[in-house]
Amino acid sequence: MTAYLIRRILALVPVLAVVVSVAFLLIHLIPGDPVSVMLGPDATPAQIEAARQALGLDRPLPEQLLKFYARVLRGDLGRSYFLDRPVTQALLERAEPTLVLTLSALLVAIVIGVPSGIVAAAQPGSLWDRTLMLAALLGVCVPGFWLSLNFIYLFAVRLGWLPAAGYASIFVDPVAALRYMVLPAVSLGFSQSALIARISRSCMLEALQQDYIRTARAKGLSHATVTWVHAFRNALVPVVTVIGITMAILIGGAVVTEIVFNIPGLGRLIISAVLRRDYPVVQGVILVTATAYVLINLGVDMLYVFIDPRIRYE
Amino acid sequence: MAPGTFLRGFVALVAILLSASSVAAAETPKRGGVLRVGNLGEPPALDAHWTTASITETLTNHVYEGLYSLDASNRPTPMLAESHTVSKDGLTYTFKLRQGIKFHNGKEMTSEDVVPSLARWGKQSIYGKALFAQVADWRAVDTYTVEMKLKEKSAIVLISLAVPNNFGAIYPKEIAEKFPPEVKATEWVGTGPFKLAEWKPDQYIRMVRFDEYRSRNEQPNGYGGGKTAWLDEIRWIPVPEVATRVAQVETGELEFADDLNLDAYERLKKNPNARTIISKPYYWLVAVFNKKEGLMTNAKLRQAWQAAIDIEPIMKNVAGGHAEFYRMDSSLAPVEIAAWHTKLAGLPWNEHNREKARRLMKEAGYKSEPIRFMTTQEYKWMYDFALLTKQQLEDVGFTIDLQVVDWATLVKRRNNPKEYDAFTTGIGAAYDPTHHVYLTASWPGWTTDEDIGRLQAELARETDPKKRMALWEMQTRQFYEKVPVIRYGDLFGLRAMRTSMKGFNEKTERIRFYNVWLDK
Repeated sequence: MTAYLIRRILALVPVLAVVVSVAFLLIHLIPGDPVSVMLGPDATPAQIEAARQALGLDRPLPEQLLKFYARVLRGDLGRSYFLDRPVTQALLERAEPTLVLTLSALLVAIVIGVPSGIVAAAQPGSLWDRTLMLAALLGVCVPGFWLSLNFIYLFAVRLGWLPAAGYASIFVDPVAALRYMVLPAVSLGFSQSALIARISRSCMLEALQQDYIRTARAKGLSHATVTWVHAFRNALVPVVTVIGITMAILIGGAVVTEIVFNIPGLGRLIISAVLRRDYPVVQGVILVTATAYVLINLGVDMLYVFIDPRIRYE
Repeated sequence: MAPGTFLRGFVALVAILLSASSVAAAETPKRGGVLRVGNLGEPPALDAHWTTASITETLTNHVYEGLYSLDASNRPTPMLAESHTVSKDGLTYTFKLRQGIKFHNGKEMTSEDVVPSLARWGKQSIYGKALFAQVADWRAVDTYTVEMKLKEKSAIVLISLAVPNNFGAIYPKEIAEKFPPEVKATEWVGTGPFKLAEWKPDQYIRMVRFDEYRSRNEQPNGYGGGKTAWLDEIRWIPVPEVATRVAQVETGELEFADDLNLDAYERLKKNPNARTIISKPYYWLVAVFNKKEGLMTNAKLRQAWQAAIDIEPIMKNVAGGHAEFYRMDSSLAPVEIAAWHTKLAGLPWNEHNREKARRLMKEAGYKSEPIRFMTTQEYKWMYDFALLTKQQLEDVGFTIDLQVVDWATLVKRRNNPKEYDAFTTGIGAAYDPTHHVYLTASWPGWTTDEDIGRLQAELARETDPKKRMALWEMQTRQFYEKVPVIRYGDLFGLRAMRTSMKGFNEKTERIRFYNVWLDK
């Protein structure tokens, strides 16, 4: 098990090296340059050239890439052109909002998704089943952007129950933090719950058709015990996988939610960095997100051992 | 006069006086409060010398001041300067500085600060470079006097010192000398009514009242005159999503938001707590031609484009059908820049003459080669007018290859003559004829026409206002003959504020929050 873990962690290195190089090349290959954006619409080419030299952007691309590798190995992700601070600092400042949003949306997704899937599977074909699965279908289809704007219009503008957008740190003002987080977490969590609900349903259905379930029923166990204790635990492995994937998606994919609800997180950072061609920041966010993605996957694989004792890693 | 008339007149007079006094009572400014402003995004710098970005212009004008500013009619008015004199030969400008003006760090502002600040600005800012190209010597005479010696007579000394964009902000000597012109300054100390307290990127920029600010004695006048910081704090919050900015003004989470989408106009107008503001001037829409390489180096083809388009339907569409948001005008300076607004008849503007366009295309020898027209969806109005232009041009036989890219790509590519034939952008207010960048050879599109260049040079030299206006009118006629760019109509912007916000000057091009106070 330990050897396996070490192997997996070592395997991270080539994955991240590829991700970093591809990210570097992609962002540099698309046209555009940070200086033209920063100097504004009336800047002259001479002004732009002088500022490019000041930032070292006039150096050949391979040279810039090598310098970048050398810095990353020292744990230095470079300096943002636009924000005038180290990339690591910019990332740290934005990690909290993204983590809080991810975890609360995940919680919403699980709380809605898993029970709906199980209830639907318990009586397949029933009105409950069809209603819940229709809702799940809608959740997948409705764009998060549209849902978010409608939530803002209804709950903030019309009813005035919650603020339209913004963010407060849970460590500074927990009540305000909760009020700000409700709408983004629900709108993001709702669309993610759909996949969890559908996977839970199909896994439960499969588990409920197993021989040991018939045996359990024959033993005279109650419906609830059969569903929740015997079937649920066995259906859990794929569900946990999907939850893990969802979490990874949320870390890198809460972009739209962060923008609409004006949450100063990593998603907003990467979008503005791409538009500004702030190369070091784009590379930094991609590196961090990719690492988180791979680590979450590893964590999920490790969880299987506890859920299903039959799974062993050599 | 019948007695009844007199009585009615008297009652009306009393009513007017009463209402005037009650308005005055309601409008007594209050000190205090935090004003929350929704911004489009982050400024690339808070160094006014360094960038032409309009967000930097707006923010830095609260923190810094220049020797001059602009009054309500967009003419230079002294700010940190007390007065100036010009020698008889017009070659020496002597500026007296105001005394007792403090920087935010407590130090007094003197000629020691003014000289290195404007020297730095003269090497980096587009306006500063234009001015300092004419400067032979720039030095301090004594603590409160500075002197500028010119190589030749110049019309642009005061206006260049007064423009709010990329402006000649006065920094303390230490900062002006520490940061080379091409490196953006990252220490921000000015003399303005607000000082920078905190900058958390993507969260907020906090500016707080500068208690030792010494205002000029004049009434507020345009960007200039007296400035009072009634507010304790201005909090600039970046809210990149426009629908969110609108919603936050509706809920009162923001007191002010700029650059709103015109779709929100009707909804905001109905909100009793919000007030909509149509911001003028905003931009005139423009298609800029590449005159260095490719198809559009042919003036006949540019004239054909100009002859073909029917501007009003384009403007109406871009303005979302709201007549309040566009204006049809051929003058290169907008109505708001009254000193340079021209009213010339018979210009070939908005002709929508298809026959003429086809004839010009034939004379140009155009054989339906694709014309690369670059635009972006990041600014919806640019994309909209480019798309409608494409349709209209293709109706007369042009082939338009519309290239939709992001803004960063567009501003990069437009510097390379091999990559495009035309691109979209907007032309904001230029306060002097010499500030129209699209008439210069250094700006993308490269207007190198000799006649245009000669007139620009004369405009920079000539100091007599009447003669300058005559030159500017000649230049306008040249513009419509040579067609370096296509002038469409004026587009206006939408702003909104909470009704609790008072004292806001709705007439300036960019927003200013000195003299603004909160009534709540």
